[in-house]
Amino acid sequence: MSFIAPLFFVALAALAIPVLIHLIQREKKQIIRFPSLMFVQRVPYKSIQRRRVHNWLLLLVRMAALALIVLAFARPFFLGQDLGAVAGAGAREVVILLDQSYSLGYADRWERAQAAASEAVDGLGPADRGSVVLFSSGAEIALRSVAAGERQRLRAAIDVAETTAGATRFAPALKVAGSILADSALPRREVILISDFQRGGWRGEEGASLPEGATVTPVPIAGGADAPNVAVNAVSLARSTFSNQERVAVSAVVVNRSAEPLAGGQLALEIDGRSIQTEALDVAAGSSASVTFAPVTIAGRFLRGSVRATPDALDADNVFHFVVSPVVPVQVVVVDRGGTGSAALYLTRALAIGDAPRFETTVRQPDALSDADLRGASVVVINDVAVSAALGRRLARFVESGGGLLVALGPRAAWPQGVDILPAALRERVDRTRDDAARIGALEYGHSVFEPFRAPRSGDFSAARIYGYRAVETDPSAQILARFDAGAPALLERQVGAGRVLLWTSTLDLSWSDLPLKPVFLPFIHQAARQLSAYAESPPWLTVGQVMDASFGESTLSLGGAVVLTPSGRQVPLDEEGADVLELSESGFYELRTGESDSVATVVASNVDSVESDLTAMDPQDIVAAATAGAGEGARSAAAGGAPPPEAQEQSQRLWWYLLCFGIVLLGADTLISNRMSKA
Amino acid sequence: MSLLGAHTPAAVPGARFMDPAVLARIGNLELVSRAVCDGFINGLHKAPYFGASVDFAEHRGYVPGDDIRRMDWRVWARTDRYYIKEYEAETNMNFTVLLDVSKSMDYGSRGITKFDYARILTACLTNLVHHQRDRVGFVAFDSEVVEHVPPSAKHMDTVLHVLDRLKPGRPGGKMREPLHKLAEHFGRRGVLVVISDLYEDPEAIVDAVTPLRFRGNDLVVFHVLDPAELDFGFSDAQAFEDLESGDQMPVVPDAMRKEYVSLVTAHVDALQRRFSEVRVDYELLNTSQPLDHALYKYLAGRAKRTRLR
Repeated sequence: MSFIAPLFFVALAALAIPVLIHLIQREKKQIIRFPSLMFVQRVPYKSIQRRRVHNWLLLLVRMAALALIVLAFARPFFLGQDLGAVAGAGAREVVILLDQSYSLGYADRWERAQAAASEAVDGLGPADRGSVVLFSSGAEIALRSVAAGERQRLRAAIDVAETTAGATRFAPALKVAGSILADSALPRREVILISDFQRGGWRGEEGASLPEGATVTPVPIAGGADAPNVAVNAVSLARSTFSNQERVAVSAVVVNRSAEPLAGGQLALEIDGRSIQTEALDVAAGSSASVTFAPVTIAGRFLRGSVRATPDALDADNVFHFVVSPVVPVQVVVVDRGGTGSAALYLTRALAIGDAPRFETTVRQPDALSDADLRGASVVVINDVAVSAALGRRLARFVESGGGLLVALGPRAAWPQGVDILPAALRERVDRTRDDAARIGALEYGHSVFEPFRAPRSGDFSAARIYGYRAVETDPSAQILARFDAGAPALLERQVGAGRVLLWTSTLDLSWSDLPLKPVFLPFIHQAARQLSAYAESPPWLTVGQVMDASFGESTLSLGGAVVLTPSGRQVPLDEEGADVLELSESGFYELRTGESDSVATVVASNVDSVESDLTAMDPQDIVAAATAGAGEGARSAAAGGAPPPEAQEQSQRLWWYLLCFGIVLLGADTLISNRMSKA
Repeated sequence: MSLLGAHTPAAVPGARFMDPAVLARIGNLELVSRAVCDGFINGLHKAPYFGASVDFAEHRGYVPGDDIRRMDWRVWARTDRYYIKEYEAETNMNFTVLLDVSKSMDYGSRGITKFDYARILTACLTNLVHHQRDRVGFVAFDSEVVEHVPPSAKHMDTVLHVLDRLKPGRPGGKMREPLHKLAEHFGRRGVLVVISDLYEDPEAIVDAVTPLRFRGNDLVVFHVLDPAELDFGFSDAQAFEDLESGDQMPVVPDAMRKEYVSLVTAHVDALQRRFSEVRVDYELLNTSQPLDHALYKYLAGRAKRTRLR
């Protein structure tokens, strides 16, 4: 039951008035003059002194009358299930939304949530229909619109449900509930939302509104928040190299979000399932602690690490998984004319710098470029050399199978006819040495090559002076990423087969431009090489609710009969024909195995959302208000059409009238009683 | 009490068994007393013991010096012996009312105060006695004597006048002092009526009153109490103030009614017992009862006494 004007409850202070009248006011009446207190004084004193209420009936009647009148002014009305009791008519479509996020695993909250859901099922009337929707980060319809007669099925669906590793998100659940209610033909629609109402689960989402006339009854599952609850919130991995071996130092941040300090706990680092190091863990209430473990050598690919804290009231957030692999350098082959006139100096120097990713550069003369070089390379740079037809065909194959090709043009550059992989056809040189040098004008900042330079003051390409460039005739399938100030293309890209080709129409040394001397040169070359090699750093972990696609980690994976092994041991085949993504729903390590050899193609660490471990509850009314806001408007607009909800609303608010009447009747009774008493 | 039962109100309807509260409103004591007593006397007209002065008591042998007029010649004719006829009472006696006018008498919960009731009673008794040609006197006292009208056949008007003027004002103290002082004044045998609310220890009261009997006086004590004093019918918890001392105390009547009533009953019982021991007539009067009731009681008691002698 809720109240339209709860402020009127302040008037309940008036209840003190009858009590005061009964206790004090009577004492203050005029003094009775009595002939002699001779006998009165002989009566034992205590029985005289004690003040007490003389007439409990009268007092209670008066107080009840006042309380009822105040209650009537507060305008009570019924919500949700109670509405049924008042309105009395109309079958309901009830959607039970049961939160199964992992925070429900805290203490006995899940059992209570299940009990609340079962209770809601028991509350269904004979003509009602019920649905059970389980939700965490997503929502899943366990049972849709089942008649109340089949209560057992609803109950079974609730009993079978378990907490997941997901975080709470109310919006998807409300949307699902909305769709169920929208399809229903029953006159009254109701959503029962059973959750622990974590603040993190609601972002004031728009569009989570329910159909007109629908009501939301929140059932908060709270309490038991006095047990300590720590969460391993994040892990940072510091790589280093020690005697030619890569090592990683793991630091974990442990947060204690409860009001109880955690003392004498332990934090263990597990590598490949074996605990190799344990540190003591003390976290004060409401604070966090950082623990750094000794460096671990990265022995091979997919080193599976976990940081695990001592079990507490909420276990799911006590462990944090991650996967580390040795860094794989990007192989770059620079095709250069070689000798003393080498133009590859700035390029190779620029590629030699940097860790993420690391580039390993091999310089080859055009005639020395072997097939083995091409097989091992991710990126080939043609640096101002004339390409023979044979080399051109080999490069075309290389690009079509997924390689990246960067072609820098200079005075010597030539491209064989008949190999159509360049974004543009080469033309004459444009000499800008006489007048002002050319500048790089328009950049396609949306493209990933220039994306790092997008923000202001993060690299100035216009500072570079270009004294010469080759005019080009752009291929229709090419994209111009940069232009000189005169409008001529400076950088072009073309997708060829699985690979791509970048064409830089000037040189990458000082002969035609001073770009290599500018600060933007190094990041520009790195970005270009990254783009061409399609380099993607695989994150050491994902969060439950994110999707893992088959290309994760390895871009050249063949998907034939790939199978994902979930942490719980389930095998999920990845279908080649489209559904090649898998939503992470468990905490742990997902393995992607390729069909033929059953070898591990990649391993993904999945962690629970740390936001969910913050058990701070929000006011459920925020959700109710947001979800029923549209419903209210709908109800108003539907009023003209004579839809039942407004009547039901009016019915549910009519209680004040009865309360007021009863209060007045009580006042009348009070007058009668007091009259009779004063006569007596 | 065949006496009471036999005489239903007949002569002056309305005067008898009047509500004391109504009488109190009349104001004129003479009128009131006459209204009550006339009806009363008419009602008792055939009472065999009325008129003590002509009542035959016994015969005794003649001794020389006796008045020959009182010789019973019929007895002489039958027995040839001289006998003298003796009569019951002296035909006129002293009748004095001793009225307590202390402040506690000025209380009434039902329209008439105890003082007014006692005043009307005094007037009635005085009127009644005056009609018998007896001498009437009056004394008002609280802690000392306030008014004193010596008994005389002509003092009827004075008594009524004094009564009319009286107002209870001062707190009463011990009765002993004024009553003992007065006892010396009643030299001649007579009837003394004490009217008071007797707020004192029973022993002290008896001690104060008995000296009045010493010279052969007949003593009647009327104990006048308001119904509220008897049943303590208050309901609300309030502060009570003692009319005499001015003391105040909070009282919860519901809580103490039982104890109070039992204490009052014990007090009345003790008075009744002690007064009967010292042969004093004691009568408890409730101001809610008609005055006639008091008069009947008085006279019935007198008659009984006379017969016994």
